[in-house]
Amino acid sequence: MRNISSVLGRLAKTVSVGMMLLFAVTMAHAQDVKEGETLFKSKCTTCHSVSRNMVGPALAGMSERHSEEWLLSWIKNSQALIASGDETAVQLFEDWNRLVMTSFTDLSDDQIKSIIAYVDAEGAKAAEGGGDAASGGAGSTQSSDANTLMIFGLIAIVVLVIIVIVVLNRVIRTLEKVIASNQAAIEAAQAENEAYEEDRFGKFARAFIRNKKLVGFSVLMLVAFLGVLGWNTMWNVGVHEGYQPVQPIKFSHQIHAGVNQIECQYCHGGAFKSKNASIPSANVCMNCHNTVTAADHYDGETSPEIAKIYRALDYDPATREYGDNPKPIEWVRIHNLPDFAYFNHSQHVSVAGVECQTCHGPIETMEEVYQYSPLTMKWCVDCHKTTEVNADNAYYDQLIEAHEKLKKGEKMTAAMIGGLECGKCHY
Amino acid sequence: MMLVRLKLNTMKENMLAMNKKNFLGSVCAAFALAAVVSSCGDGKTRSTGWEFSRNMYDPIAYNPDQPNNNFKNGITAQLPPENTTPIGFERFEFDNSIEEYERAGRELTNPLAITEANLAKGDALYHTYCAVCHGKEGKGDGPITQDRSVEDSRGSRQLENFPPPPSYQKSDGANSSRGGAMSELTAGKIYHTIYYGHNSMGSHASQLSPEERWQVVMYVQELQKK
Repeated sequence: MRNISSVLGRLAKTVSVGMMLLFAVTMAHAQDVKEGETLFKSKCTTCHSVSRNMVGPALAGMSERHSEEWLLSWIKNSQALIASGDETAVQLFEDWNRLVMTSFTDLSDDQIKSIIAYVDAEGAKAAEGGGDAASGGAGSTQSSDANTLMIFGLIAIVVLVIIVIVVLNRVIRTLEKVIASNQAAIEAAQAENEAYEEDRFGKFARAFIRNKKLVGFSVLMLVAFLGVLGWNTMWNVGVHEGYQPVQPIKFSHQIHAGVNQIECQYCHGGAFKSKNASIPSANVCMNCHNTVTAADHYDGETSPEIAKIYRALDYDPATREYGDNPKPIEWVRIHNLPDFAYFNHSQHVSVAGVECQTCHGPIETMEEVYQYSPLTMKWCVDCHKTTEVNADNAYYDQLIEAHEKLKKGEKMTAAMIGGLECGKCHY
Repeated sequence: MMLVRLKLNTMKENMLAMNKKNFLGSVCAAFALAAVVSSCGDGKTRSTGWEFSRNMYDPIAYNPDQPNNNFKNGITAQLPPENTTPIGFERFEFDNSIEEYERAGRELTNPLAITEANLAKGDALYHTYCAVCHGKEGKGDGPITQDRSVEDSRGSRQLENFPPPPSYQKSDGANSSRGGAMSELTAGKIYHTIYYGHNSMGSHASQLSPEERWQVVMYVQELQKK
């Protein structure tokens, strides 16, 4: 009895102390945290996150690692603190590749304190999440219990299967005996059955063949059907319209070009100045995906599709370092013009000003890209027949100048109209 | 006798006419059926379908994105050899460090003349390569820094925000993490940042040629005045 009361007493004490602490903390920080959140998001998120390392270290637990006074002087002017020879500051600067943190001389002490309060509150939240993970660890012992249970279950199933096999064997043996003793009768019955089946089918076939109109109609239907099918197939030989291969990474143009409004040429810059629109190299992906991991949708883990970029680059997101064993991402080519047709993206995009969507369709809504246009010669020619030439450029200025000269009867050599350009002969 | 013959003849003709009608009818029906069947599906397919004389389609020379066994790493698009400078490119003799950044800021000036054509090009390039984070006006409010959501085959969900960069504009008075106001960054510093990237920003050297970088720098310096 005494024991129980003392235990109860201790419990009450801890609970009340905990409550008081919590109350004090909430009282002190409630008003700060909100202000801290706004300040944190406008000043700090470029380089810091509470829970993970970005350009700068994860901030969770920073008020345990450093005194408030130290944090204030660091945040206001970290370079001055380093110059003053503060050991912690110098160490931190060296650990993080001598990256200089922005000086925030414009922040007041109270504002910085509210940022610290916000980081502490967020850190505590994250730690609670960690607590859940720990209880998940406790669950793993449960799951090992479950494993032994499963093993026993499997053994039971195996035993059961063996019993069933033995029983079935017995049954088969007795049935074989029965068959052997009644062989003749069974054969007679089978023959009768076959004759009956044959008779039924034969009757139907004979009736069908006798009806000449029906036969004619059926043959006609078949020929017409195959004709249309063949016609369509032949016309679509080598036409890949609607081709939507499975890509190695589930890259969504709907998210990147549609929702994020990233310009097409951010990744396909070749379309401005070369024959090929070019598939971006993975460093272009990393311009954003060095920070964007979509971890909020994958329980704090990097999205498996984004992780494929990291694997291709041999990049370790924990240390933010690249290894020396990169492997190219093998995208499947969708638009494939035959080698005997020359097509130049820059001529269409930079000179003619054709929108990407004119040929590639509503790319910004495609979760998975497919070939929108047939890319047949007729398709090219149809567009060329109706597109008006934009003559407001240097090429046509030269052309008109050359015509004027000819009109006046001036002498004009091949060299004057580009006959000495290397590419005219060597390509 | 004649009458019977005539009658037979007309009957034959009638029958032929009827057959013709039937024939045409069934041909129409069959074509309609075939057309309906062949138009099934949404027109998207995982296969390229039938191809004739594939070797006329495949290039003899290697495409830049094709695998290539002639190179050790199996890639056609090789990097230029070290210590070479591609035509139209100039060397950027500054390292990726804070001291070199400051030096670039002191020593480099924009080699391009401020012309309408250069500014227009800079505007277009800025819009393509920078505005997605830095915003159309350089205020650091590009679309990927804002709250946004997508709805696709995996359902509706919020997308992660990219950390917003500080504003270039004088009126916002934001500070650079490497010291000084964003609106007072010199041309060399901006060029250095485009070349190497900084903080959350990656290097954009592979996407912009030297001339294009200077055009972007010119346009950014216009935004700084706002």
